[in-house]
Amino acid sequence: MQTSALKPIARLLTKELLIAVLLLLGVSLVVFFILYLAPGNPFATLAGKRAGSNWHQIQDNEPSGAWYAQYLHWLGRVVQGDLGHSTRSGLPVFNEVIKTGLNTAFLTIGSILLTLLLAVPIAVYTARKGLTAIGWGLTAGSYILAALPSFWFGYIVIYICIHQFGVFPLAFGADASQWRGIYFLLPVLVLGLCSGTLSEMVRYLREELSRVLTEDYIRTARAKGASIWKHALREGFVLPVTEMVAAKIPFVLGGAVVVEQVFNWPGMGRLAWQAAQDRDFPMIMGITLMAAVFVRTGSLIKQVVHICVNPRASQE
Amino acid sequence: MNYLPILKIEDLCTYFYSRSKQAFIRSVDHVGLQIAKGQTLGLVGESGSGKSVTALSIMGLVRGEPGVISGSIELNTPEGGINLLQGLGLHVRIHRDNGRIMQVAKDADAWEKTADRNLRGIRGKQIAMIFQDPKNAMNPFVAVGRQIAEAVRLNTAVAGHREARARALHWLAQVRIDSPQLRYHNNPHGLSGGMCQRAMIAMALAAEPVVLIADEPTTGLDATIQSHIVDLMGDLKDELALTTLLISHDIDVIRSLADTVAVMYGGTIMQQGPVQAVLGDTGTQHPYTAALLDSIPDQRLIRSKGYLQAIRGDVLDTMNIPAGCRFYPRCNKVDDTIRAQCRDQEPALINIAGGHRVRCWRFAQARPYSGRAAVHAMQRN
Ligand SMILES: Nc1ncnc2c1ncn2[C@@H]1O[C@H](COP(=O)(O)OP(=O)(O)O)[C@@H](O)[C@H]1O
Ligand code: SF4
Ligand SMILES: [Mg+2]
Repeated sequence: MQTSALKPIARLLTKELLIAVLLLLGVSLVVFFILYLAPGNPFATLAGKRAGSNWHQIQDNEPSGAWYAQYLHWLGRVVQGDLGHSTRSGLPVFNEVIKTGLNTAFLTIGSILLTLLLAVPIAVYTARKGLTAIGWGLTAGSYILAALPSFWFGYIVIYICIHQFGVFPLAFGADASQWRGIYFLLPVLVLGLCSGTLSEMVRYLREELSRVLTEDYIRTARAKGASIWKHALREGFVLPVTEMVAAKIPFVLGGAVVVEQVFNWPGMGRLAWQAAQDRDFPMIMGITLMAAVFVRTGSLIKQVVHICVNPRASQE
Repeated sequence: MNYLPILKIEDLCTYFYSRSKQAFIRSVDHVGLQIAKGQTLGLVGESGSGKSVTALSIMGLVRGEPGVISGSIELNTPEGGINLLQGLGLHVRIHRDNGRIMQVAKDADAWEKTADRNLRGIRGKQIAMIFQDPKNAMNPFVAVGRQIAEAVRLNTAVAGHREARARALHWLAQVRIDSPQLRYHNNPHGLSGGMCQRAMIAMALAAEPVVLIADEPTTGLDATIQSHIVDLMGDLKDELALTTLLISHDIDVIRSLADTVAVMYGGTIMQQGPVQAVLGDTGTQHPYTAALLDSIPDQRLIRSKGYLQAIRGDVLDTMNIPAGCRFYPRCNKVDDTIRAQCRDQEPALINIAGGHRVRCWRFAQARPYSGRAAVHAMQRN
């Protein structure tokens, strides 16, 4: 398996790279165009502070032109690794996006792990025992949790922290020593429970596992005295988990915007929120690219796992 | 013949409970079978007659919460005999009301535990099974060689990975797979249907079982591949002195491989005995067996579809087994002398000549008995 998987993985990587380039081009073009069309003069907010009537002039004193000319100009700089500077803070976009991107990656990965930590046992239990009273309770619980709006739940959590425990999770970022404190777990908790992912994860994992457990080859495994769980692992567990994680990354990123806002988490979501309000175009473009890279990376990981589990899948 | 049968099934009943109809689906209904050492017992009958459920009952693999499994399945090995159904009945209580089955109260966990205890060291090890549709019956994500090696490690004294691998290669060669070294690494979908069935046979044999159960091992394969698999199984039977329960709806397959045969209909045995007596040209066939034999030309056509229903009328609905003979609604051999009996009373499985039994009023009557041909056939056997 190990060696037979190498070639398909190499092929996949080339294909993915190509797709990623096209995707980034497409997404950036669309977003750029939308920004161009945005109602109200998007450049007016800063016009009072700085001279110029378009954003390249603001930054670089470039001549204005048609939107596509501006896009090509932007693209040319991106290709050279220059995402420009924030029109608001003047900081380099690239550094800001990487810095906040890591924080967001941390938040999303943590919350997805938490979701899995809850979803997997519930799914395995209910797949195995059917919907017993306990299984039913767990499932219902996961649906209720997933249905809670994360901003609301976030505020509840903050409220409890302040009034019950007298701590201020909002202080995050103010003091470096709190980095590893409980505060940093709270946004992960809220996003993990309420991003709407939990219930779907439970349902999908349970359905897949139950389906796989009725497959012929599982019966064969029992017939030869082998562990059915060992044989069900790949198709009934590894594949659906990676499938779900990859499919849910965009949603969790979306949820991160809200949760970062509520918890004042210095992530890309909060940055995007601010950038949108400030019409900080270079920043918005940088974040757009970064988010696309995130999503694509999730899908890439999923496909690599698929190939490792089943080398033939890529050939068929 | 050696007369301590290795596998001896008595009065086996496997019923599924249908909650909506408040009745049992009697998939296997009072079945008795036995296989002597080194012999192949063929189990034949239309689709839906209960052959697979019989096999799965032996293996403790019946899915979907059977209402009851009762009777006894005795496995006699050199270490002694054991009843695989021991103690299962204790975990079920059936509540009846006016002939309706109101509830089947079953302690499923305890049932499962007892069944697993009965089958520990037997399922896979003493009794191995080959299934239909090998591409889906083997794990599609794992190389076939590794699946065979797993069977070796789990069920024989060989524990090391390297030795298990060597044994797996040996079994791949034994089932006549070319270049076992290469095939070892193929996933089931990388093999042809015939190859894959060979690999599955290798996997079952790798456990070095006392009894082999093959459920429709040739069904769904191309005609030429089918005959290759039949040839292989014939060779293996001679080489390894296998004791086999061979299930097929294909009478030709049974005829080529089996020593004794049981004909199943509507969950029960209609006729059983030596192959020549039951399937030969003896005139002592049960009307159902005769109908099956008559349908062989159609069977050849139907074989490719993997489904047999060549006899006029519908396969019996085992939720509503008639009071009389199960085959009565479809039987064309009823005459006026026995019509009332056929309709109202179930015939017993009676012995008409050494080990040749038939469940039919035509043979149960004190009428001129036509069993002589059968006796001849047995002597030839
Ligand atoms: N899990 C189950 N639940 C209910 N009925 C079943 C189940 N498995 C098999 N049966 C019924 O038992 C009968 C015999 O099935 P089977 O043994 O598979 O027939 P075959 O002789 O073709 O192998 C069929 O009518 C089938 O519908
Ligand atoms: S008992 Fe009667 S109905 Fe049944 S098979 Fe014999 S002749 Fe036909
Ligand atoms: Mg069957």
